[in-house]
Amino acid sequence: MTRDSADPRAAFEELALPLFEPLYNYARWLTHDPIEAEDLVQETYLKGLRGFGSFAPGTNFRAWMYRILRNTFLTSRSGLRAVPPVSIDEDPDAYEQISVAETPESLFFARVDSETLRSSIEALPLTFREVLVLSDVENMSYREIAETLSIPIGTVTSRLVRARQKVRNTLRGER
Amino acid sequence: MTDHLTPEEIEQHADGEAESAEHLRECAVCANAVLSAMQMKRALRAMPRFAPPAGLRARVLAAPPARRSHVAWWLAAAAVLALAIGGVALLRARDAAAGQLVDLHTTILASANPVDVLSTDRHTVKPWFEGRLPFAVDVPDLALPFHLIGGRVIYWRGQPGAYLLIGKGAHRISLFVFASDAVPRAIASHAGMSVVVWRAHGLAYVAVADVPADDLQPLRQAFARD
Repeated sequence: MTRDSADPRAAFEELALPLFEPLYNYARWLTHDPIEAEDLVQETYLKGLRGFGSFAPGTNFRAWMYRILRNTFLTSRSGLRAVPPVSIDEDPDAYEQISVAETPESLFFARVDSETLRSSIEALPLTFREVLVLSDVENMSYREIAETLSIPIGTVTSRLVRARQKVRNTLRGER
Repeated sequence: MTDHLTPEEIEQHADGEAESAEHLRECAVCANAVLSAMQMKRALRAMPRFAPPAGLRARVLAAPPARRSHVAWWLAAAAVLALAIGGVALLRARDAAAGQLVDLHTTILASANPVDVLSTDRHTVKPWFEGRLPFAVDVPDLALPFHLIGGRVIYWRGQPGAYLLIGKGAHRISLFVFASDAVPRAIASHAGMSVVVWRAHGLAYVAVADVPADDLQPLRQAFARD
């Protein structure tokens, strides 16, 4: 990537504007609120533009912008509420019983309507919701998710396991 | 037959993050688990996405200094203020007070734990100050768009005070509460940061925020009310 030092704003916009819709989508998943999501996206672009000088060319710009959006959210009121007081990853009891012997029904998700699926994801604690949304909705690789959330790849994997398990359990319970 | 895949390996396969495994070709249980994870992934991808409202893109593009709710901006403002305050003796006392309080505001907001009592409930925040300060802090019921985030004890010019962190949309307002005689009568706004001072119930209130001073008036009314 080259950066036009004469016009950093143009360089920033060229990189950042294609992310506009995905960032808004992600903001909605984090905040559950259209107004807050709007504020969050605006603030993310302002922070991104102002901090663009500290972005290291050649590193992942998408992860960088998502990280700004997420950090901004986490310091907001609803973000402070959404963060669990203790680390969920370190609580072994929280690891739900997972057995490969449990047979997942074939075509199970083909029958689930979008609204049911959406509400089951919205019900997830932030830690699991965000990893699932980044992976499955935003199509990020484990490495990119790890970079965005500043966590190890192994943690990304284990959170995804539990996120999908929780969604599956919710959907089973609802039928 | 080889060992079953771990739950992590199943997700890795569904996400295309794993090398192909011999085991999947011979184990229907694991293959089924991977298939299920892939179906969930596909279902999530197929969900309608949230579309940004019309006009947001234009607002983002139009953006710059209209909104200044930025740690980076605050830090820059604080640095400028610190230089100005440190170097120029011409500043009058009330300007110095503004600079110091704006600095405090910036420092607190930039901290990992801006408040010691984190609660949107005034009935939690108010009693928290009891025994921590030589005066009682009345925390009124705030009407939207203001919302209480939390509070802490701070010291300024050797005086203990209450610090309340209040949100207004994405903006953060610092409200400092001191014994009345500790604070100058008037404090000028500083470098675009609004500083509003008022007195009520024998206490002095100083609100610092990056919103227009007029927007802080409802807050003043809420705190000045009996």
